[in-house]
Amino acid sequence: MTTSIGFIFFIGAIGLGAIGIAGIVLANHLFRLVLALAIAEAGANLLLILAGYRWDAVAPIVSDPAVVQTMVDPVPQAMVLTAIVIGVGVQALALTLVIRIRQRYGTLDMQEARQRMQDDLDAAAGITPSRSRERPAGGRPLPAPAAAVEAGVQHD
Amino acid sequence: MTDVTLAIALPLLGAFLLPVTARRGLHWFGALLGPTVLALSALVLFGNASVYEAPYAIALGGFAPPLGISLYVDPLALLFALTVPLTTLLLWPGDDGDAGIRRQSLTLLLASALTGLALSGDLFNLYVFYELAAVASYGLAAGGGSSPGFVAAFRYLLISALGSVFGLMGIALIYFQTGTLNLAHLATLSEQLANPQGLAAFAMLVIGFGVKAELFPVNGWVPEVYGAASKRVAALLAGLASKLAVLAIVRILLLVFPHEEARQLLLVLGILGVITGELAAYQARDITRMLGWSSVGQLGVVFIAFSLPGKAGLIAGVTVAMHHLVVKSALFLLADRWGGAIARLKGAASSSRPGAAMFVLFSLSLLGLPPLPGFWSKFLVLGGLADAGSTLQLAAMAIILAGTVLEGAYLMRVITTLYKPVDAKAMPQRQHPGNLFASAMFAAVLLCSAVMVNPLWQGLNAMAESGVDTKGYIETVFDGKEIPR
Amino acid sequence: MNAFDLLMLVATAAIPMSALLAPIAFGRWLLVAAYAVELGLLFMLTPGDATRSAVAFQLLGNDVGWQLDALGWFFAVITVGAAGFSAAFAAGEWSAANGRQGLSLRWLYGGLQINVLAMLLLLSSADFISLFIGWELTSWSGLILMLLAGGQAIRAALRYIVYALAGGMAVFAGMLVTQAHVGSLQFAALSAAAPNLPNTALWSITLLFVLGFAVKMAILPFHLWQPPAYAYSPGPASAFLGSISARMGLFGIALVAIKLIGLGQLLTLSLWRDVVDLRDILLWVAALTAILPTYVAMRQNDARLLLSWHGVGQGGYMLLGLMIADSLGNAGGLLHVFNYASYQVILLLAVFAVIHRTGTADLNRLGGLVARMPLTFLAMLVGIIGLAGLPPMNGFVSKWMIYRSLVSEGMPLLFVATVISTLGTVLSVYKLLHNTFLGQLRLEHVEVKEAPWSMTIPMLLLCVVVFVTGVAPGLVLSHVASVQQAIGLEPVNYILGGIESPAGSLDMLWISGILFAGFGIGALLFYGFGGRSKRVHQLDNYAGGHFLTADVRYQYSDNFYAGLMHRIRPWYRNSFVWLESSLVSAVGAAGMLARGFFKQANPAQWALVGTTVVMTWMMWHALG
Repeated sequence: MTTSIGFIFFIGAIGLGAIGIAGIVLANHLFRLVLALAIAEAGANLLLILAGYRWDAVAPIVSDPAVVQTMVDPVPQAMVLTAIVIGVGVQALALTLVIRIRQRYGTLDMQEARQRMQDDLDAAAGITPSRSRERPAGGRPLPAPAAAVEAGVQHD
Repeated sequence: MTDVTLAIALPLLGAFLLPVTARRGLHWFGALLGPTVLALSALVLFGNASVYEAPYAIALGGFAPPLGISLYVDPLALLFALTVPLTTLLLWPGDDGDAGIRRQSLTLLLASALTGLALSGDLFNLYVFYELAAVASYGLAAGGGSSPGFVAAFRYLLISALGSVFGLMGIALIYFQTGTLNLAHLATLSEQLANPQGLAAFAMLVIGFGVKAELFPVNGWVPEVYGAASKRVAALLAGLASKLAVLAIVRILLLVFPHEEARQLLLVLGILGVITGELAAYQARDITRMLGWSSVGQLGVVFIAFSLPGKAGLIAGVTVAMHHLVVKSALFLLADRWGGAIARLKGAASSSRPGAAMFVLFSLSLLGLPPLPGFWSKFLVLGGLADAGSTLQLAAMAIILAGTVLEGAYLMRVITTLYKPVDAKAMPQRQHPGNLFASAMFAAVLLCSAVMVNPLWQGLNAMAESGVDTKGYIETVFDGKEIPR
Repeated sequence: MNAFDLLMLVATAAIPMSALLAPIAFGRWLLVAAYAVELGLLFMLTPGDATRSAVAFQLLGNDVGWQLDALGWFFAVITVGAAGFSAAFAAGEWSAANGRQGLSLRWLYGGLQINVLAMLLLLSSADFISLFIGWELTSWSGLILMLLAGGQAIRAALRYIVYALAGGMAVFAGMLVTQAHVGSLQFAALSAAAPNLPNTALWSITLLFVLGFAVKMAILPFHLWQPPAYAYSPGPASAFLGSISARMGLFGIALVAIKLIGLGQLLTLSLWRDVVDLRDILLWVAALTAILPTYVAMRQNDARLLLSWHGVGQGGYMLLGLMIADSLGNAGGLLHVFNYASYQVILLLAVFAVIHRTGTADLNRLGGLVARMPLTFLAMLVGIIGLAGLPPMNGFVSKWMIYRSLVSEGMPLLFVATVISTLGTVLSVYKLLHNTFLGQLRLEHVEVKEAPWSMTIPMLLLCVVVFVTGVAPGLVLSHVASVQQAIGLEPVNYILGGIESPAGSLDMLWISGILFAGFGIGALLFYGFGGRSKRVHQLDNYAGGHFLTADVRYQYSDNFYAGLMHRIRPWYRNSFVWLESSLVSAVGAAGMLARGFFKQANPAQWALVGTTVVMTWMMWHALG
């Protein structure tokens, strides 16, 4: 990419990707996560389109030789269309899940949703959670009364 | 010979027909549609067995490579493609109302996408089929309707989508450098990709495809999704989908990036996967998450196996992967009624003797008791590591062996709990006969492969020969035409 | 179809037979007959030559076959014999009583036969794959027997299987490293290549195999699993496992370290500028194994645990003997395998006979049973004399040979170590005998009868075997000499009565003759010229003017050796238990750490970190 315009687009694509990835990693609100995902995917798609940009290409089939059309590589553009559609589908599914989580758990906070999920999974499995705010670690039960020693077994 | 595309198209068609027909009151048609479609795909794939002598490539739409999309059918692809309809048939979800129809439709979608993943010969095609499989699995993971299922599916979506972003960037990087995404064409240009940008692109692709393959570090979703989804879905994802994702990475590794750094990356990630998976499974207190972590560990072994160079690596990897497919799917099926805390399983053997016996059989195979096939898979992997002999590989060997001891500890803990005596009031649930039947089928496959070791060995050898034959791949795809640039 | 194939066929066919016939009394005697048939088939083989099995496979490009040579034959006879005697012990009333209490007889007899088959497969291996197959099958079939009793046996069995897997994986690693360096998995390939292997390769192969086999043999520090696991198995299983199962590790060491790699090669593996080599390390570890568990045995109050701890110690003796370069010493070690198996079976069967009649094995709650169970007492007495290593029983011969060669090889410190170990053995087996049979009979045991004939006859038969092989050890020494030849050591110079060597001979015929002559003279003197003895009831006694009654304890047997224990109590520091539990805790903590990795709030964090690290590493690698 020698010209400055291409450089700007390149920076833009990487920047969008970086913003999106940063958002996914740092955000705590479910909806913001979906938005960040959308931005990241936009950045990746832009990067792919840029891969197909040709500065001095000419259309292979020219009907009027006087008019010369500049041309870019169409293959990445086709790929990006596919990728955009995939992204749209995934984002739609993500939003559906966000709605459902809001309906079931009443929260859109990732930490809280994760904690509720763990608690539900543990409860369904029948495991007492190892640590929770409702049951702090203090006040351990007394040791069981010394049971009858089994035939004086000793180990070494 | 173009009928192999039917194996991709038929399940796709079935997936879209199913909700339509089922709602119109043609319940019997809907119930039969899925299994029929899968059986037909299996037959189509079986009919291609002649590929053992001569692999072939299909140019979809008649567009010649490298411009068009091509499918490549060789013994390796055929083996993995064949496991898809067969395993999906055995793990076919039940038919209970609307949710059941949705689940069946998504399963067919998953099957179609995975078959395409096995047969694809183009990098973007791999990406598209992978995303299709991912979307189907998001739906399956959330499909149980349970609240934790939605959260787990969302978190899975998050990691997977992030991985896909990286994967897409990696594809862009490759396109920047080479201008093509056809695997055969890239194979001719693989020396151009031995520079930092190329290998960074490989790393990104590995992260992208590695989410489904439960690769370290993108496997955080595993215990949550397997814990929240139904066990058949967990079996599909852990047993089947992960193997096909591994195949995608292996194809890219063998054809496009046959470099030492790429193999070392897989080796290191595999080692880390084994360590975290087995250690986490050791302290698990419920069966589903224990099996999920155990599958993370086993997939680490698969990656270590594929990181070995040459034919030895391919044979070892395929053996471990296939063995894990059979055993893990069956274990998840058995965990369907037995899901939950391990302590709750006390005395389960008295309520379901065949189930417990099969659990023991699968555990013993996982631990590598000869003459079960698990032993041979470990033998191949560890033998290859010992032969290769570098420090990291010997460390990998020690770690896999230590992981086996840990596996023994937690699996035997479960087995001894199963066989403890318990009074009639506290007995756990009986096994569902459908699950028992499917597990019995898996057990039959396991035992048959234990007996027929030699024919399988010869078949695997032939498959590996053609799998590592990159020149043959390029020639078959281009079919004598001029290779551009 | 030679006798060896027939033997394997019978052993295999006996498994479903056992599962079917075990609940029927007559069927159980048929199963004992099957063991007799197997033993007969073994004796039909000429132990000197190796008998190759007709069954051989080509698996994954490797030849897998089985052949029984003198080394395997020796261990096989002991295995089948121990199984046969244990099964005979249990075949009658024991099985009937325990079957009624809920023990699964099918699994017991079937498991016993599976164990025998697995050990035969192991002992007749001809290459590393068949060795590993036999090894893993032996480990897992032992688990079947250990799980049968339930309750506290299950914890012990879990501990066992983790240790056994660790050992098995070490053997697996050794096998694969051998394949990597030597190129083949056949035994002959390793023995041909061993002299030329580079030092690191030889170290790693030897260490992996020896460690793997040492875990099974319960050599220090891998010994903690064995006593509870063997003690809590049901009767015949405990006798069988205790006598021979751990010795499979010794077979492995004899096979790989001595036959294939060679004792001479072991001497070249040295640390610290040739000051100490691997053989010295093994000798000292074996000596420590002989000492420490024996003194732990002294503290046990459960008779089965006491004997199982002894089993660990005697295993140390065997390894010690085997590692001595002198032909007398390693013959002593190999002979000790047979001797120990014979009297361990007797002792454990006697203890189980006592349990059958009295319901307890607690040494603090027994006593005076000699009045009620004299035959069992006789069996235990013979076993104890053998275990302590006193003439005329066979234990004396093997111990004498080891002592002799330690002194003549110039290893006086090891000699002192073995003497200390024998002291501990003598003390603790006397405790066993005294607390069970001598002293005052308890009120609750007054009605106890002698053990039934089905139990006493096998014990007494074994006593005869112990006595005969003690008086004429040449019978067994001839086989030991062929074993020595088979593994490449110099065979010992034996005669019917013992050893004939220029450095010093042993003739048990003479010694026993003198001993019995002495007894005879003493008996003559006592009964003929003196001996005005009158038989008095035990309670016909007074203390402080009061009559004694049977419910009063006037002879105590608990806290035996109080004075000695008071002295050496501070030396029992439970160090190995601490080591094991800290290892387990460390693994548990690592597991929590690993789970923490999966528990992150935002799943994408690790993905990002990982991706960045991975990409940086790749790019750096590609540049460098």
